[in-house]
Amino acid sequence: MIVKMKSKIGALMAGTLMLVYNAASAESFFEWATTFTRTKGVQPVMNTQYLTECGACHFAYQPALLPARSWETLLDGKALNKHFGVDAGLEKDTLQIIRDYATANAAENSFYKLARKVVSETTAGEAPLRISELRFIKRKHHSLTDDMAKNNEAVKSLSNCNACHTQANTGVFDEDTILIPNLPSE
Amino acid sequence: MKIGSKFIRLICGLCLTVVALNTHAEQQGVVDLAYPAHAYLSDTQTRLLVEETVSQEKYTQKSAAAMETRNDFKEPLFTGAKAHQYLGLATLVAAAATALNPAGGGCEGAGCNVQTKPPRDTNGTHAQLAKVTGVLAVATVITGLITHWDDFALEDGWADPDNLHVLLGVTGAAAMVYAINKSANSTTPVSHAGIAELGAAAMAIGVRLTW
Repeated sequence: MIVKMKSKIGALMAGTLMLVYNAASAESFFEWATTFTRTKGVQPVMNTQYLTECGACHFAYQPALLPARSWETLLDGKALNKHFGVDAGLEKDTLQIIRDYATANAAENSFYKLARKVVSETTAGEAPLRISELRFIKRKHHSLTDDMAKNNEAVKSLSNCNACHTQANTGVFDEDTILIPNLPSE
Repeated sequence: MKIGSKFIRLICGLCLTVVALNTHAEQQGVVDLAYPAHAYLSDTQTRLLVEETVSQEKYTQKSAAAMETRNDFKEPLFTGAKAHQYLGLATLVAAAATALNPAGGGCEGAGCNVQTKPPRDTNGTHAQLAKVTGVLAVATVITGLITHWDDFALEDGWADPDNLHVLLGVTGAAAMVYAINKSANSTTPVSHAGIAELGAAAMAIGVRLTW
């Protein structure tokens, strides 16, 4: 009787989890559930063209840091000509490759923890165009003073992730890996 | 009865701590830190400038530099977050060890015939492991609340992996502590494996969600 009840509860929990996560990452759930690989941050960028083109001007943000809707808006041919006040226009073919990569690896297509947080926050409402506008990102950076970021020559902006997140390129944004440059030693 | 009220007080205390820390996080989270992207772009060569003046070689070097790992940083060996991580894993190991070392049936209380059945062992391997598991579970919850308090926010909803982690972790730990108390303070052997295993499973799922 008790054994039956336990297996029922176990099956119920497993089923609920599968349903929740299948909705977010249908193809990746099995892989996610059966591996011990850490998936705490976001998947690193694996596309050379994305790395080269986006990384030429700024940190090549991992696509899973925004939903696909955001990437579609940001990587529109016309919008790129006024990309946050800068002409970042690309060749049509290159843009297509980058847009395809970004949307295919956007938050809703990833099973990494940060991606799931992005999905959880952006499902409703307008698609955010800045990662630094996400609520949980703001909350995590609430204690930063202007001297640490805005007035810090080596940082300047929250959008400059890899200035402080030493392993940002590998998709790891843990607090243990942060080193704010130009800070006077305590 | 006494144990029951103690347990309820413990749960209430944990809940109040979670709510208090959450409110604190929300209050401090009002600072607008969405600095304009051009703040750093003004000092950085724009895409247009790169195309016009910089050779393809330098362009590639720049993109590589933008993604290189900082080598002037050494990750600390021991931090609050790591303590929480190790304690969580240790709790799961201890819980598994407890389940794999079940206590003998034993005999205790009125009507017990020690001639045919040995007395109930209340301080054997299973009991000791269970106590260790309980202590580790409580320590995990406390270190988690201290080091990751700003990861938890009710405004993110319960689908948020960090919120689910807190919910499953605290519930799992509470269930295990309840099971340990139930058995340790009973004068007769009582069924407690179900709630303990459910607690351990909840904690394991909570760990996986944020692993």
